[in-house]
Amino acid sequence: MAEKSVEELYPLVLQLTVPDSPEHRESALLELSKKREAFADLAPILWHSFGTMGTLLQEIVAIYPTLSPPNLTAHASNRVCNALALLQCVASHPETRGLFLAAHVPLYLYPFLNTVSKNRPFEYLRLTSLGVVGALVKMDDSDVINFLLQTEIIPLCLRIMETGSELSKTVATFIVQKVLLDDVGLTYVCATAERFYAVATVLANMVQALAEQPSIRLLKHIVRCYLRLSDNLRAREALRQCLPDALRDHTFAAHIKDDLTVQRWLSSLLYNISEQAIADMQAQRA
Amino acid sequence: PGGPDLLQSPLPPQAQQQPGLSEQTVIPNLASYITISAQIASGPSGAAMRRVAPVAVDRAIREIIQPVVERSVTIACITTRDLVAKDFATEPEESRMRKAAQLMVSNLAGSLALVTCKEPLRVSIAKHLRALLQQQPGSFSGSDQHEQHAVQTCAAENLDLGCMLIEKAATEKAIRDIDEALAPALNARQKRFEQGRGYSDMISPFGTGEGRYPAALPEALRPKATGLLAHQFFVYEAFQRMPRQAHFPQQSAHQAANQQASSAHMQQQQKQNQQQNVSRVPEAASNQAQLSGYSS
Repeated sequence: MAEKSVEELYPLVLQLTVPDSPEHRESALLELSKKREAFADLAPILWHSFGTMGTLLQEIVAIYPTLSPPNLTAHASNRVCNALALLQCVASHPETRGLFLAAHVPLYLYPFLNTVSKNRPFEYLRLTSLGVVGALVKMDDSDVINFLLQTEIIPLCLRIMETGSELSKTVATFIVQKVLLDDVGLTYVCATAERFYAVATVLANMVQALAEQPSIRLLKHIVRCYLRLSDNLRAREALRQCLPDALRDHTFAAHIKDDLTVQRWLSSLLYNISEQAIADMQAQRA
Repeated sequence: PGGPDLLQSPLPPQAQQQPGLSEQTVIPNLASYITISAQIASGPSGAAMRRVAPVAVDRAIREIIQPVVERSVTIACITTRDLVAKDFATEPEESRMRKAAQLMVSNLAGSLALVTCKEPLRVSIAKHLRALLQQQPGSFSGSDQHEQHAVQTCAAENLDLGCMLIEKAATEKAIRDIDEALAPALNARQKRFEQGRGYSDMISPFGTGEGRYPAALPEALRPKATGLLAHQFFVYEAFQRMPRQAHFPQQSAHQAANQQASSAHMQQQQKQNQQQNVSRVPEAASNQAQLSGYSS
């Protein structure tokens, strides 16, 4: 699709920050979030235009009072999710990502990730918030990982991986996977037994649940997490004990028979924790 | 001003151990703002509950206030500093920049503190109530269903009071801290002005220097070289107007929370509470509804 003229964004951004009425702002949020794919410049326009980031933060904190006791309507959830979609756009853009992080904006979404209600408005809110963090980690930027590791993102993701919907679980696992793929992230998670087992236990529980109700895309992220953990020597030792049997036998064979990537990851993982790998490694050292 | 600085009042160690001191609160006069509904007050543990509730709320607040306030204020100051410095880069009037920063930081810090403290505070009040009731003469077993219900109800009834005090501590600290956070940005502006460069050439340095924005934005959307446009300050004023508390059926602590209670106001509130306590029975139903909401 040809790049449209950004001129058509300007009135909407103005309507967002200087609305004639709350409904005006709401429709601007909706229109802009629909257009975010079509305009490469939307992120810098949102960041640099006067007051827009402040307005989006107002949208976010405005629903904090509805989180506990859980009282978020579908309407309010949709509205704030449109604001989150715009933040995701800012989080993804190379020109604004660093500014977005430096201003600590992702932390305002953590109260949403911390909710536990299973109602649809909350599920949607958590999923969209995870999407913003997912957009950040997708960029393979070590600044992003360093920032996230100083926050509670891992425990928040782990809880969603245990209790969330299939889609939320998948995005949360993707975020943990991206943290692990970073060297600092892997070192961080494997630095203490407590951290390692917090992650490994949740992964194992998910594998167990998947044996009942398989989801290939989720399984793929889980296997990738395990494989990456096995790059750390202490974690590799621990995985020899705690890798679920369902990944060692052929529980998922039928489900992954068409996916060469996950097959390859799984066999690398099983090799990494095998006697043979230890022997090879010792031979290399000798 | 006026009220005690809650962050400066650590728990005296002896207060926890000596039962004789347990009826005093470190937060001055806290007992006058405590709500005990008629349903609880007339129940079997009513008298004991009235004695221990102020101490339980006092301890619960002081247990969590410091980390919550520290974290909320730190985050809010960083966000406010970055966004205000960007938006007010060309504004010649420093006082407007300071004002905008204060409005924004107190809202963000208060909102974060409130949303962070609410659940831990409810759990902590209940925990301290249970522990204190067990020390009371009489037979609070802690396992009886009515006793559990009384503890949960009392915690829920006084949650807003605790939240209000923590939120207030956060907003006050945020307003104190934001000046320091803004100092480098303000100094840089001052230097430019002294060098005779004024503010008009700041439009590019406050961007990343690489992209087309903000320079490419139409005037209505960017900081204007000669100062803000009339409508632009509106965005920051809106931080002040936002209600920060959900609306609850019972009004006592909630009213105080919305009005940043001055001590005079709190005294007035106390009278209202006493009047309301008399006619509190019908509200038991709404408390029940609230409790079931928490446990879901």
